[in-house]
Amino acid sequence: MKKEGTFALRIYPVLFMALLTVLFITVVSGIYLSTKDLVEMNETLSRKKAVLYAAGIDFPDGNPEGIQEIYTNRVREIGTADGRPAYFEILTDGSVSGYAAYVSGAGLWGQIVAIFGFGKDLKQFTGVEFIEQNETPGLGARITEPWFKEQFRGKTGPFTLVDEGTATGPGQLDAITGATRTSTAILRISNKAPEVAEEVIASNGGEH
Amino acid sequence: MNGSLYPVAILFAAIFTNNILLTNYLGMCSFLSVSRELKTSVGLGVAVTFVMATTSVLNWLVYNKILVPLELEYLRFIVFIIVIAAFVQIVEMVIERVSETLYAALGIFLPLITVNCAILGVSLFMVIREYSFIESFTFGLGSGIGWFLAILAMAGIRQKLKKARLPKGLEGAGITLVITGMMAMAFMGFSGMINIG
Amino acid sequence: MVKGKLKKTFTDPLGKNNPVFAQILGICSTLAVTNKLENTVVMTLGVVFTTTLSSFVISLIRKWIPSRVRMMAETLIIASFVIIVDITLRAYMPDIWKQLGPYVGLIITNCIIMGRAEAFALNNTPGLSLIDGLASGIGYSYVLIIVAIFRELLGTGSLWGIKILGSWWTNWSIMIMPPGAFFMLAIFIWIVKGAIIPEKEEAKK
Repeated sequence: MKKEGTFALRIYPVLFMALLTVLFITVVSGIYLSTKDLVEMNETLSRKKAVLYAAGIDFPDGNPEGIQEIYTNRVREIGTADGRPAYFEILTDGSVSGYAAYVSGAGLWGQIVAIFGFGKDLKQFTGVEFIEQNETPGLGARITEPWFKEQFRGKTGPFTLVDEGTATGPGQLDAITGATRTSTAILRISNKAPEVAEEVIASNGGEH
Repeated sequence: MNGSLYPVAILFAAIFTNNILLTNYLGMCSFLSVSRELKTSVGLGVAVTFVMATTSVLNWLVYNKILVPLELEYLRFIVFIIVIAAFVQIVEMVIERVSETLYAALGIFLPLITVNCAILGVSLFMVIREYSFIESFTFGLGSGIGWFLAILAMAGIRQKLKKARLPKGLEGAGITLVITGMMAMAFMGFSGMINIG
Repeated sequence: MVKGKLKKTFTDPLGKNNPVFAQILGICSTLAVTNKLENTVVMTLGVVFTTTLSSFVISLIRKWIPSRVRMMAETLIIASFVIIVDITLRAYMPDIWKQLGPYVGLIITNCIIMGRAEAFALNNTPGLSLIDGLASGIGYSYVLIIVAIFRELLGTGSLWGIKILGSWWTNWSIMIMPPGAFFMLAIFIWIVKGAIIPEKEEAKK
């Protein structure tokens, strides 16, 4: 082995790795930077869609400018917390007609983060959109399906769970068959949602 | 849940309810090939547990203290795998110098570990679930123990299985997968015991 | 002769040397997403992309890779391609990217990619390695896509998120939970090993 010399044995591999690392990291960074704006745009857009959906405001899906326009007219972002707005005021003809706020809690596999929309009294739910969830696909993850989210509209808490497809009253929520843990997690989160919203509005100097 | 108890809950969740092999299918390659023998399974299980617990902590430090401040989070895949590979290499060298017997017992498994998906998986889950330092440690440790437990049980069952007569197509990998599925079902019985999140 | 090798390189991983059922390799990361067909297809495309290009690049520079850092270099190259997949998904398919979570990153440790790099790309020309990588990726993908089709259909009564089976169908929840993947794959391997492969071998005789 000695014949190969220190260069081939020690220096060359290090040089080679260094060169390879620099080369690949440059390429990867280039691609990352070129998509960075797109990623940020996607994230703000999906947040705007979530707020509008939770507030029960129709928007043209797949038309970013249209969404942007409706959002500017109907939503005011208030304060900042964790790099995102602390809560949202929903406007109708320029005056506040409701609120939307982030509410999170433990699900079965991980954190569930939702945006809840409320009427002006913070009692009636106008809707919900789930931003983050890691529930079981096909079971708990069905919370992101429209039928589940739509059931919140117009209801007032506190909720109780009933079998899937049987909810009628304003205090009843359809559970998801086979996903008991996720359903109770959602129950817990939605029952504390009005309180959480009230707190965040108060701590940002707002009143309702 | 009580804040100070949370890391303990993660430990148990990682071993039982969210077993990394049985619910996330990670570490299948070495699981299927090594679980033939009880003795080698123990060796690999110990090595995996050790490396998992240590690298989850190392990667937590690298990610939160270096990558996040520099806004280089997108490079985490490369960085994590290099940390793991380098750590395994160092452990191999240390074990070789320190103890012949330990090296004979564990040394052969170490190269296998670098490509064990479960090790990288633990680091990636840790980032996504935003675990704290101590939570990352208990998560890594628990996942390791959980993996160890699964491969140990499988090796035990497979030793008995040698005498069984099986349909030809199911021999080897097929039957191992069936048993793994049953183990996964059995472990699902633990769910509800702990709620993490 | 050359053409024969080319064809063999391509067809072997699809048939009798399929990485999943002959070698049981690389099921780690993708098996986890087989409970939804859409996710599986996106994920397997990522795997095919990574195996193909990493095999090609590793083969391209194989003469300069010092053997001591061989594994490190391979890992670096594979990881770079996986990051590219991750970044692309995040930019253009944010919803699916979110659902796949950590599993995209775990393509790095997919044994097939490293296995093909070690066993094939280091000793063959770039062109041949490209085909080998592509074929291994496809061979792996179709098995998992079949598993995903059965899991989603039996588990939720739908395919690609669209309801296929009527209201008479009772969902087999077990299929979309973890054990379902193990059982499906076992059954698949059983059928292939028990019925199809032996027949082919007899036919050759």
